[in-house]
Amino acid sequence: MADPLHQFKIQPLVDFGAVNLPVFGHTQLAITNSHVAMTVAFVAIVLFLQLVTSSAKVVPGRLQTAGESLFDMIDGVTDSIIGHDGRKYFPFVFSLFLLVLVMNLLGMFLSFTATSQLAVTVTFAALTILLVIGVGFLKNGLGFFKLFWPASAPLVLRPVVGAIEFLSFLLRPVTLALRLFGNMLGGHVALKIFAGFVVALGAGAFVGEGLGLWGLPIAALSMTMVVALTALEFLVAFLQAFVFAVLASIYLNDVVNLGEGH
Amino acid sequence: MAAPTSHDTHATTEAQGHGEGGLPQFQTQHWAGQMGYLLVLFFLLYFLIAKVFAPRLRRVMDERRETISGAVATARQVQAEAAEQAALAQADLAKARADARATAAAAKARVTEEANARQAAEEAVVNARIAEAEAAIAKTRDAAMGNVSTIASDAAGAMVERLTGQAATKAELDLAKGAV
Repeated sequence: MADPLHQFKIQPLVDFGAVNLPVFGHTQLAITNSHVAMTVAFVAIVLFLQLVTSSAKVVPGRLQTAGESLFDMIDGVTDSIIGHDGRKYFPFVFSLFLLVLVMNLLGMFLSFTATSQLAVTVTFAALTILLVIGVGFLKNGLGFFKLFWPASAPLVLRPVVGAIEFLSFLLRPVTLALRLFGNMLGGHVALKIFAGFVVALGAGAFVGEGLGLWGLPIAALSMTMVVALTALEFLVAFLQAFVFAVLASIYLNDVVNLGEGH
Repeated sequence: MAAPTSHDTHATTEAQGHGEGGLPQFQTQHWAGQMGYLLVLFFLLYFLIAKVFAPRLRRVMDERRETISGAVATARQVQAEAAEQAALAQADLAKARADARATAAAAKARVTEEANARQAAEEAVVNARIAEAEAAIAKTRDAAMGNVSTIASDAAGAMVERLTGQAATKAELDLAKGAV
């Protein structure tokens, strides 16, 4: 059976050689399949947005309606979560959402899913949390630390709750990165395993090896699972992008409206 | 699109995968390249959205909102005007109806009055003629009643003359007539 992890392997296409970087250590510089997938996603997004907005009309066509509904959805998220300042952070959240969404969706069509690479999801999570910290300090100065000093809790409990808040803040980038990574990894591994069953058991039935003819019903069952999982993966692809956008908005709201809604 | 990634055969990559073990995602020699490239793409997309795409869409959406609110306002205004005109027309209609009713009532009253007057006049004429006729009848009857006693005297005188052979005096006849 094909190795279900093979699909996540980085394949260098154009190799530029290896260097030693300070943080990353031994690093291979190359244009890889991951770069190709990211580029395809990026070009698809820019083309889509260009098509949607270049001849945008007051009475929208089909494509414009699709683009506007995505736009409106994220606009609604930033607006309802961050509030008045939401518009300022909309481009960031929308870029995040579109890149994650299109990379997820391309994973359903290409043989490589960029968002199943930990490096990619860590980059998204780090960007988000660095923006949160940056905005937090720029807007509130040292008042940023009030985020870990819950004024509504009883005084005795405040250090404890504060410590928990701090810990949860530290875990935010980790959960952001791992949630997306885990969903993509798990879904594609499950798809690959069930698809592998179909081929292996089907072939075994024809040449009389393994389970023989008993393999056929199991192959059919696996095929059903593949179809069902594919539908589920499309849902997950969208949902994870949306969850990422919503969580980024929530974390931004914490520092943009610090001390107002707590 | 998938062509560049699928040029490897399964056989060779399987061997590699099993040889290195673990998830390919944890092979950190590929991290820096991916992260740097993704950052570049992200910021490119961010600036494109922030400077080009979002303003374009917002402009169209604002324009749409204005168009719709303008159209709604115009429609409201037209509706208000129509309602006003309808009210005016209603008032006119009510007034015309009241006028017509008044005219009809006046005409009816006048006609009734004229009819009554004519009837009264004719009744007076007829009554006068009845009274006149009754007077004539009374007069005739009185005259007839006056002649009755003369006829009675004559008849009594003639009966007395035939029975007794001699004429009764007028005093006797009057006496007899009074005794009857």
